[in-house]
Amino acid sequence: MLEKGDVVAFARVSDISRSRPPAAPAPIVRLRDVTKSYGLGAAKTQVLRGVSFDIDGGEFVALVGQSGSGKSTLLNIIGGLDQPDAGEVEVLGTDTLRSSDARRAGIRNASIGFVFQAFNLLDHLTVLGNVILPASFAPGAKQVESRGREALRRVGLSDLANRRPGELSGGQKQRVAIARALFNAPALLLCDEPTGNLDSETGKEVIDFFRELNAKEGVTLLIVTHERRVSSVAKRVIAMRDGMLVETTDEALAAAHGGPA
Amino acid sequence: MMPAGNLARMVMANTLRSRRHFVLSAFGIVIGIATFVVFLASTEQVGAVLEKIFPVEQVSVIAPRASLLGKDISKKLDDAIVEKIRSRPEVDRADPTAVVPRMSLAFPAFGRGDFEGNDLKFEVGGFADGINPDYVTDDDRTRELFKDWDAMANDPKRIACEPPARDPQEEVIQSPPAPKGKASRPGVYYNPCTQPERYYCDEVDRTCHHRVPIVMSPTMIELYNGQFAKSHGLPIADTDFVKFVTQRGGLSAMRFSVGLGLTTIAGTNANISQRKVRRVEAVLVGISDKAMPIGMTMPIGYIQRWNREFLGEDAATAYSSIIVRLKDRNRIAVFSQWLQDDLDLRLEDSLGEKFATALFVIRLVLVLISLVIITISSINIAHNFFMQVTERRRELGLLRAVGAAQTDVLMVVLGEAALIGLIGGLLGVVLGIALASGVDWGSAHYLPRFPYKPDSWFHFKWWIVLGGLACSTGFSVFGGYLPARRASTMEPAQALTQN
Repeated sequence: MLEKGDVVAFARVSDISRSRPPAAPAPIVRLRDVTKSYGLGAAKTQVLRGVSFDIDGGEFVALVGQSGSGKSTLLNIIGGLDQPDAGEVEVLGTDTLRSSDARRAGIRNASIGFVFQAFNLLDHLTVLGNVILPASFAPGAKQVESRGREALRRVGLSDLANRRPGELSGGQKQRVAIARALFNAPALLLCDEPTGNLDSETGKEVIDFFRELNAKEGVTLLIVTHERRVSSVAKRVIAMRDGMLVETTDEALAAAHGGPA
Repeated sequence: MMPAGNLARMVMANTLRSRRHFVLSAFGIVIGIATFVVFLASTEQVGAVLEKIFPVEQVSVIAPRASLLGKDISKKLDDAIVEKIRSRPEVDRADPTAVVPRMSLAFPAFGRGDFEGNDLKFEVGGFADGINPDYVTDDDRTRELFKDWDAMANDPKRIACEPPARDPQEEVIQSPPAPKGKASRPGVYYNPCTQPERYYCDEVDRTCHHRVPIVMSPTMIELYNGQFAKSHGLPIADTDFVKFVTQRGGLSAMRFSVGLGLTTIAGTNANISQRKVRRVEAVLVGISDKAMPIGMTMPIGYIQRWNREFLGEDAATAYSSIIVRLKDRNRIAVFSQWLQDDLDLRLEDSLGEKFATALFVIRLVLVLISLVIITISSINIAHNFFMQVTERRRELGLLRAVGAAQTDVLMVVLGEAALIGLIGGLLGVVLGIALASGVDWGSAHYLPRFPYKPDSWFHFKWWIVLGGLACSTGFSVFGGYLPARRASTMEPAQALTQN
């Protein structure tokens, strides 16, 4: 309670507003109560059970969990390759659940890059043809070939532009896939077990590339993995079990990686 | 939606990268389109030939035959009937050739001419008629020569002349021109008129008259070649050659004389006064489908004057038939009914109409057969594409992952089906033309000549080729639609995990 002699300070409203801390940027990915199931009736399997989390811009996130925990399904939902049964999914400011297929496709083309465990290259196209494939669906795409060659240069495969995927090693194929994912300079890179089919040395090269990409260019990375060497590089680890997020305790991480920490 | 250029490139690359898939899909289309274009082209050509033989755009009005005690009492077709027909709503009154009366030579006549060194004698009475010269407009030369020359005043070439003496055998003789550069043979009569290939000396008024211009129908040429020439060891008269000769001024090869009142059938000219029997000379000036099918046709003025001279006024005003061209051939039935009800006349039996109807039915059946083949190939395409979509699930899932919308995937697969249809259609058309060429070669080398035998049994009009391509593309797109829909609606996440 004020008493005689107390000093009271007044300030104008504008001054008060300037003194507030700036609002935090919106997260790149925002999930709320996302659920997903497959099958019908007795064969129905609940894959995701009310998953909620955010990923901010520039984060390097590893999504870990045992096989069947729902991590790949979650990745696909974030990338718009699958649709949840319920919940909210917001990617790069767009409510993908309520957007049209064309809108989601446009976001994937312009702002999201995918890297898959099985590489998913097209054998009938050259290496360069695979890298510039996203340009086929981008109206008004310019300097396509030069951008494709630049992407190949970044992954160290400039000399292999005219080869076919069948002539490449596993590591080279994955680097072509990464070049394709980076072709449109995406804001978000979604990787599903990117090192799963690679030997340890090649896998390390890929992980180092991702770390550098995140550190220098601020590309937001979400990597689904069950490998410790990958999750240990990530700045943040999200663990899943039976379709739900669990606390990232050492025990949980150990279980996710299939062994002791 | 993906840019059109990118779509085209992707469709082209996808279609041509799997030859096995292309052959499996396109084979049925190639066969179907080949049969489609061949059937249409052959019925088109056969229809054109039939229309030459039986012009279906016009009808012929005749009086039903009636006789009493051997005397012809059929209704008379005269100018009053012509005027009534001309005033019908089915007829274009403004067209002077919409109603064309024909008049037959109503008394005996006998013809004689030289053809390739052969002395030909033939009956003319009953095989000659006349029509309005304005109706015969096949070409410039015919238009120039097929006129009623005797009705023209002030012909400067109508000079006085000395006609040949009558032959005591009363046979018709010819009057060749004097040989150039050679001495005339004594006792031989030579045509004294200038331009003897066009003019002759008339024995009645002793002046040079233009030869009576004659046109013959292609049927006559075909009959001559197919029946007469062969049996009599005479040379074949090619229609184009006849046209060439008559139109290049080589009229001397096609001259002949006509003895009005004479006949090869003994006794049938007993009613003709011998004082009236006389000679005129004629020349073939062209081939026209306006001529009577079997016989010769000349400007109607000549027939009218001769009928009047030999038989009287009644014969000079009675037409043998009236050719009518209706504005709409579908009004034939209405016109025919009016003829029967109001004028007691009828249309001559039109074999052309019956043949046209039969041809229409045949064409319909053949086209239906080829459409069945194309439909089966469309089902084959659907089957192949369903297989392809299953095999390419991962590829299609990847396209979705890099930014293809559902409509993009739909357009890519439909585009591949359309391209298969278009290429298959082109190959089908080529195959059809090749088959047709083979048939024509076989026909030319192994089929004997017969009247109106065409040089080719097929006429590949532009709309047949375009129609074939449109069918092939359309049916292929139809077959590819359901697989394309499946491809576009498959879940990308599941497609990418396909083994």
